[in-house]
Amino acid sequence: MKPEIRGFWAGSAARVATAQEVAKPDRPLRPFSAFAALIFSLALLAALGAFLSLAVSGIQRADECLHLTQASWQEVASSGFSAPPASLDSRSLPDEWRATALPLSLHAASPANAHRIIWVRLSVTGPQSVTESLALYGARLKTDGPVALYVNGKLVYRGQQRGQQWNSLFTPLWVPLEPGVSEAPVREILVRLEHTAQYPVAVSSLWLGPADALRGRYQTRQWLQQGLPAMLNAAFLAVGVFALFVWFKRKHEPGYLLFFNLAVIAFAAHLHYYVDLPIANDWFGWLVVNSLCWLLTVGHFFLRLLHGRPLRWLSRGMIAAPVLIGVATMPVSWALPNTQFMLAVIYALELMMAMVVGLVGGICTWRSSREGRLVVVAVAICVLLGVSDWMMHNNVVSPEGWFLGAYTNGVTFIFFGLLMYRRYMHAIEEVERVNASLAERLRLREVELEQSHQRLREIEQRQLLSDERQRLMQDMHDGLGSTLISAIRSVEQGRMGDTEVSQILKDCMDDLKLAIDSMEPVEADLLLLLATLRFRLEPRMEGANVALVWDVGELPPLDWLDPSSALNILRIVQESVANILRHTRATVIRVATAAESAGVQVIIEDNGQGFDVATALWRSTGRGLQNQQRRAQAIDGRVDWKSGDTGTRFTLWLPLQRGI
Amino acid sequence: MELPAADATPPLIHVAIVEDDLGFRRALTEAIESAQNIRLAGIARTRAEGLRMLLSAPADVLLVDLGLPDGSGIDVIKAAVQQWSSCSVMVATNFGDETHVIRSIEAGASGYLLKDSSPAKIVDEIRSLASGGSPISPIIARQVLARFRQGGTGGASQTIGSGETPQLLSAREKEVLELITKGFTAPEIARLMSLSPFTVRSFVRRIYSKLNVTSKAEAIYEARNQGILGG
Repeated sequence: MKPEIRGFWAGSAARVATAQEVAKPDRPLRPFSAFAALIFSLALLAALGAFLSLAVSGIQRADECLHLTQASWQEVASSGFSAPPASLDSRSLPDEWRATALPLSLHAASPANAHRIIWVRLSVTGPQSVTESLALYGARLKTDGPVALYVNGKLVYRGQQRGQQWNSLFTPLWVPLEPGVSEAPVREILVRLEHTAQYPVAVSSLWLGPADALRGRYQTRQWLQQGLPAMLNAAFLAVGVFALFVWFKRKHEPGYLLFFNLAVIAFAAHLHYYVDLPIANDWFGWLVVNSLCWLLTVGHFFLRLLHGRPLRWLSRGMIAAPVLIGVATMPVSWALPNTQFMLAVIYALELMMAMVVGLVGGICTWRSSREGRLVVVAVAICVLLGVSDWMMHNNVVSPEGWFLGAYTNGVTFIFFGLLMYRRYMHAIEEVERVNASLAERLRLREVELEQSHQRLREIEQRQLLSDERQRLMQDMHDGLGSTLISAIRSVEQGRMGDTEVSQILKDCMDDLKLAIDSMEPVEADLLLLLATLRFRLEPRMEGANVALVWDVGELPPLDWLDPSSALNILRIVQESVANILRHTRATVIRVATAAESAGVQVIIEDNGQGFDVATALWRSTGRGLQNQQRRAQAIDGRVDWKSGDTGTRFTLWLPLQRGI
Repeated sequence: MELPAADATPPLIHVAIVEDDLGFRRALTEAIESAQNIRLAGIARTRAEGLRMLLSAPADVLLVDLGLPDGSGIDVIKAAVQQWSSCSVMVATNFGDETHVIRSIEAGASGYLLKDSSPAKIVDEIRSLASGGSPISPIIARQVLARFRQGGTGGASQTIGSGETPQLLSAREKEVLELITKGFTAPEIARLMSLSPFTVRSFVRRIYSKLNVTSKAEAIYEARNQGILGG
């Protein structure tokens, strides 16, 4: 398919569905339910058809009807169309009857512009019911002048009083005989047909019988010749309107608009089958003649859309021809005269156009587009239907035949329906295919994403492990490790008593316990951390005979409190307490907390003798204090000492939020 | 106030030990022998020996190490709860870390003993346990609170049979646990809540047994669930 056509109709209207929609399709009918629905629908249609055909089943009573197929006729000249007399004795007519079989088809004769009257006389013999209303039915009476019907010499029907109407040829004859008339059996039927000399008159055979027995024939013909084509015509227009609304939303696809255009023109071109306006040289006549031409033009552009070749000259011609014909046939004084000859020329032109469109379209699309082929076949069928109409018009075939041209729209409708069906099915399949591939792509993406997440998690895990290891290594190295090494050395050199060794090992154990505690989840709770520290240091405090005053209060959560910073805090406070126990003779230690707007404070006070902070920090032996400072900086906090003779106050300040 | 009267002669406490570490066993033995009113009733070195010991006359306090050469001490704890129902089980641990202690309590232990405790402390803990008290650390208190918070809202507990209904903490029990997480000691909490220190420790014992019941209920629920899934 060519790219410019792909968007036409639903071809590219593939909707992108979400993965969920893909995963959960509409619940289909179970086979049994589907079968039941189908059978029900078909049965309903069949029942309706049977009912209607029974209702018009007069055909089955054919034996009660008389089929009148023998007649005699004569033609007399007249000075013009005239009103028929109310009653007429056939014996008053010239005795020049010629016997004929019905249907009767006559051919045009010169001279032109002369008026004639054709009389057809039918003698009726045979049994007739007198209890039922009778009716007279015939396929058609074909003339361009008024029609009159006499039964037993009395005028019972007048038609085409203003001349031939657009729908006359397609409307069967139906004359109910009034009770007053049919009291006596019908013996003679006289048909009076006025016409102009060049008009090919035709008379079909007639049926006489009970109205109820004949009505079926009449209605069947009426419905097939007018009703059904009218329905198809209207349906085609409705589909055209649908296409128009589609085009409103999809203006970049001209196919929809062209289809609407086609539907409207086709509707106009076939309206004359159903309109009982007199045929005259007026705008409606102009429309009838021209719309056929426009139809061909639209058909050409449609084909062009399908095969995608510009065909510039043909397109120009297909626009120029309708314009020329349209101007030439306008019902105005300066236009060409409306004669039979002119009409023939125009119809010939239109037939030529149809053949060119069909042929060129066929050549262009036969290979490339199956849809184009469909359209060409449709055009061909329409041309054939037109030819059959022409044959009916010119009495080439029996006047009891059918004007199949009325079905042109039906054919167009069916073929474009086929086209739409193909498009629609194709679109649905396309959507399903797209959805399926989308779901597959989505699945692949999910797998990919999962894999990359997995990788990220692994990297994160490795990073975490590495951080943790580094932290513990650092801690072991600074604390536990160095303490143990110096203890080993002292023991080896015999400089240390058992009590001292035990004390050093206890310190090491405390260090180890705190390192383990730092790994417990404290959930941003600094107080829990301090509580743990107290719990660990309690035995040593008791051993040192120091009273601990626990003076803590609620603290805001510190969201940044991870194992690493927890260990830093534990070590800072541990060092502080250890310093008090080691270097002062304090008897009371007070641990307190305080919350500020930007941070929290941990305060540790003692009542020992105090020390010179500046000197202690400066001296190399003050490594404990320096460590505290370093650890505080590592977690964006700070430490502070205020020391006097009556005690020392140590403060650890920690931020609520840490720098991002 | 169930504080044992100081002047009355306290009843004899029989202690049994399941421990493979010779050093700690010796330290324990020494601590127990130096104390009055405490007797060493039995010693087991492995899980198998421990289970066999449970067939003899029950002791008042059973000290169990988790890392036994032929299996987990948890099995011994569970068996002891069944067979020595009047006995208080105590788990011996190096660090008193949350994982070990909570697991033991869920198995039915009533307390734990840090292995580096001084002999005096060891004797204190045994006495406290024998009289119905239990020790607790801030981190374990926090963990227990979290367990009960989960159990209170989790849907799993809804369908559990009435016999094993997971219990909720009373307001006072919760208060005790919260004070412990803030670092207060049992005597301090007793002062704050106008209780005796012993009552605080017996509160902890009650909390532990609730945790044991809840974890049993969860285990049953879990097993039932898997049975349904499996079938």
